[in-house]
Amino acid sequence: MTGKELLLRALEKRGVRHIFGYTGGAIMPVFDSIDKLGVFKFVMSRHEQGATFMAQGVSRASLSTDDPQVGVCMATSGPGAMNLTTGIADAQMDSVPLIAVTGQVATGVIATDAFQESDVVGVMMPICKQTYMPLEADEIEKTVHEAFYVATTGRPGPVVLDIPKDIQNQKVSKDYQFSLENFRPNLPGFFYHPTPAREPLKQAIELINRCERPVIFCGHGVIGSNAGKLLQSFAEKTRIPVAFTLHGLSAMPADHPLSLGMMGMHGTVEANRAISEADLLISFGMRFDDRVTGKLNEYAKNADVIHVEIDPSEIDKNVATTVAINADAYRTLHVLVGDPMLTAKPRRRWHARIEEFRRVMAADLREEIEGGLGVDGKLLMKTIVSQLSEMTQGRDIVVPDVGQHQMMAARFYNYQTPNSWFASGGAGTMGASLPMAIGVKLVRPDERVWSISGDGGFQMNMQELGTVMEHKIDLKIMIFNNGYLGMVRQWQTLFFDGRYAGTPMLSPDYGLIASAYGIPYRKIETLDQIAPAIQEAIELEGAIILEFVCDPSEVILPMIPAGGGFDDMIVKRPQPRKEGGKR
Amino acid sequence: MRRRAILAYLLDSPGVLQKVSMLIRKKMYNVDTLTVCKSRKPGISRMTITLREDDEARVRQVIHQLEKFTEVISAKELDTEHSYWREAAIIKLEIDGAQLDALRGDYNFEILEHKNHDTHIIHIAGSTRRIDAFIAQLGEEHIVEISRTGVAALEK
Ligand SMILES: Cc1ncc(C[n+]2csc(CCOP(=O)(O)OP(=O)(O)O)c2C)c(N)n1
Ligand SMILES: [Mg+2]
Repeated sequence: MTGKELLLRALEKRGVRHIFGYTGGAIMPVFDSIDKLGVFKFVMSRHEQGATFMAQGVSRASLSTDDPQVGVCMATSGPGAMNLTTGIADAQMDSVPLIAVTGQVATGVIATDAFQESDVVGVMMPICKQTYMPLEADEIEKTVHEAFYVATTGRPGPVVLDIPKDIQNQKVSKDYQFSLENFRPNLPGFFYHPTPAREPLKQAIELINRCERPVIFCGHGVIGSNAGKLLQSFAEKTRIPVAFTLHGLSAMPADHPLSLGMMGMHGTVEANRAISEADLLISFGMRFDDRVTGKLNEYAKNADVIHVEIDPSEIDKNVATTVAINADAYRTLHVLVGDPMLTAKPRRRWHARIEEFRRVMAADLREEIEGGLGVDGKLLMKTIVSQLSEMTQGRDIVVPDVGQHQMMAARFYNYQTPNSWFASGGAGTMGASLPMAIGVKLVRPDERVWSISGDGGFQMNMQELGTVMEHKIDLKIMIFNNGYLGMVRQWQTLFFDGRYAGTPMLSPDYGLIASAYGIPYRKIETLDQIAPAIQEAIELEGAIILEFVCDPSEVILPMIPAGGGFDDMIVKRPQPRKEGGKR
Repeated sequence: MRRRAILAYLLDSPGVLQKVSMLIRKKMYNVDTLTVCKSRKPGISRMTITLREDDEARVRQVIHQLEKFTEVISAKELDTEHSYWREAAIIKLEIDGAQLDALRGDYNFEILEHKNHDTHIIHIAGSTRRIDAFIAQLGEEHIVEISRTGVAALEK
């Protein structure tokens, strides 16, 4: 056996089915073995970044299935490995387990600036959970298993394995033995506490029973531990409303009467106002990032905070907790829901207050969505997403890119299926959607997957249409084409006196692009074309591209300006200013 | 700003020092001193880092994030009340022998070598403040070269 064979044997043992990647000199031996072995479906991306997001799609989407898998991507040394960085940093920000394998130049020439040599471990170290460089074939299997353990245990994250070419080819020693059954990773410094301690839990229950105006926070940890159902029972039992982080969406039905929708910068009025007036925040699996809190010293000033979080370094990082529970969200909810001390209260006044918040923007939004057109007669993204939501009964999977369309998709799709929303959040990487959706579709083949991108983000990774074509991936691809980097344009409208610097943008003829890849295409310019186009996409077996011509001046509201507090929330569209920009 | 000492036990494996120093840089500190040595357990090193910070919460953050590294077994702050902080210095001096002898009463140092009648190499150990005081009393102008170890700390 050689190093490369042990690598693949370990991947197979870990339930890996797909390998996403791109070959090159330093990884060729591994690719050769993949081909010979024939047990993995190899998917070539058109750029290594694509492979990282495809692998992320596999990890994110499969965790709620019977067959959870860790996404694996591979690249050659030097430029190949460097092209992985964005997707790895993105996985780290969003706590997505991922294994990235890079070929490295042979040990004999490492640190001589050999052809296509980069210090992969040095580059990756600050942007991933752990890095390894095995220096003997005998180490490889053990290293891979440790890598999977680290990637998936506690707060998940990406792990990089940089394997020199000669080690890939090296034969193991004669007496080499490895047994997964007896394998224990040697990580004396790696602790994690999945089970909640009794004492803080008791204090938490006391606070919950005593409070008047509580809000439950549903974060990524709820999705990650498949605890959506439990969270819903907890909310129903206590009659406490639930606000979601971007990554907590789809953990429970979006139209549940207790749902406040998304919180934070582009969150709903009801979520944000409820948080401002709350006397208790009960947060599960989240990290209170700046997009969630706004100005920290004004954040939820009158609230006690219960913070349930698997990563102890997140507790007290941004928001001081009253009760810290360093544990897994699922296990904590499981104990909480079953605890006889937990009491139910009707909380009529609080719910009445929340109803007031719900009304602040409801009429405006309804009117906008029903109108469906912007000032220049082009389509509104909210309307498109709302129609998609209705026509699919909120049951499909949505993979947005990054920008205004992402926030529209977060706000106006009525998520019904648990774990059906996959977005680049912490890093906000434009171009993530198309490759991520490919990975998602491969592990959720029986569900419909919508990749929604802006014209900007789509052009960042549209080469992955090649992968869609080659592997006949049945993706419903939507491009919301507003001719601008819309989200940045919105900031320019609101905070830069309408000067549109570096945001207007030409698109290619997407119809020609689609036909070059042999993918059906529809352009949607009027309201009456929306439903038939979506219907066609639903009925069609196979990929389709729908380009929607959208109004560039549409804004996503409310908005809490960056660094602002919840009192600075903008709920009314400002008067249109004179148009700037080149066009 | 207050000087803080953080004591960490970590695996003696390549790259760990880089991780620790990268974290400290990311948190926008300048390392005051950093010392590493073997611990009593084979394969585990002992690291003492000093940096300047007044905010307790930020220090706790650094410690939590250090602990997050799989290689870090434990990390905690050592305060001056409950621990000893010491460092050592080797100093090459150009000074009159008699002048050096006059300091003997106040400071405990060892003369490693008389290079010639007015060049000496000495070794001194003690608290940072003690060594600073020694240097001040000696007069910076007499120092040809100085090597200080940085702080080693131990809980009482
Ligand atoms: C790789 C990357 N570069 C830049 C940004 C900054 N950025 C955030 S949203 C956005 C605009 C996105 O434009 P588009 O894809 O057309 O979507 P829209 O907002 O118009 O819906 C930009 C440039 C980013 N998030 N990611
Ligand atoms: Mg756009």
